[in-house]
Amino acid sequence: MTTGSEKENKKGKTLLVYIFLHLVLMLYSLGGVFSKLAAGEAFLSLRFCLFYGGLILLLMVYAFVWQQVIKHLPLTTAFANKAVVVVWGIVWGFLIFREHITAGKVCGAALVICGVVLYAVSGDKEKASDGQ
Amino acid sequence: MDNKMLLHAGILLAGTFISAVSQVLLKKEAMKEHKSVLEEYLNIRVILAYGLFVATTLLSVLAYRGIPLSLGPVLEASSYIYVTAFGVTIFKEKLNAKKIAALLLILAGITVYALLG
Repeated sequence: MTTGSEKENKKGKTLLVYIFLHLVLMLYSLGGVFSKLAAGEAFLSLRFCLFYGGLILLLMVYAFVWQQVIKHLPLTTAFANKAVVVVWGIVWGFLIFREHITAGKVCGAALVICGVVLYAVSGDKEKASDGQ
Repeated sequence: MDNKMLLHAGILLAGTFISAVSQVLLKKEAMKEHKSVLEEYLNIRVILAYGLFVATTLLSVLAYRGIPLSLGPVLEASSYIYVTAFGVTIFKEKLNAKKIAALLLILAGITVYALLG
């Protein structure tokens, strides 16, 4: 039997894992920002190397933290939450590169997000408990 | 979507496909028994997979020369289609109705984004 404080503890831990998950997904989405910044520079120029190096570093940090996060979450939950990267792409595009947000973009992105979430939860029950 | 954007979107889709191929190589090698940790990493499949991974990062930089940042993650969602195709054909994984519906939604989303975005 679990006591009230144990339950609170578990809730707090789960919340922390979700915060980490979304921090790492935000970090992953910044990889696109570095790619786009490198794309604006001459190949192998100093600024290109800095942005490209930033991209590789980000991907390494992401790979490491992702491995840790999926130890504490079902894989399906982690993959379903990954759909948020599409939203970050629109946000960074708007804030950093002044890209326009149109109804068509939002509709397309919403369909992709629904598809990714549905894909993540479409596995069998055994898979759904992976990583728990 | 003009011709320049279409070409660059194609580059990102190709990069996403290559990335899925590298995942297959890693998975194939992970299914094998290895005598040591060194052998787990220093083998042709894993080295090739990481080489392909670096190539895909360069392809993404090239692609972003012609497409907006917001289109990137949308196109990268096509990886679910490639991974499913490899899963079914190579690893004999089963496909269910929900997965097919999910892939259709992803395809529809990419199409809507490309045509109306």
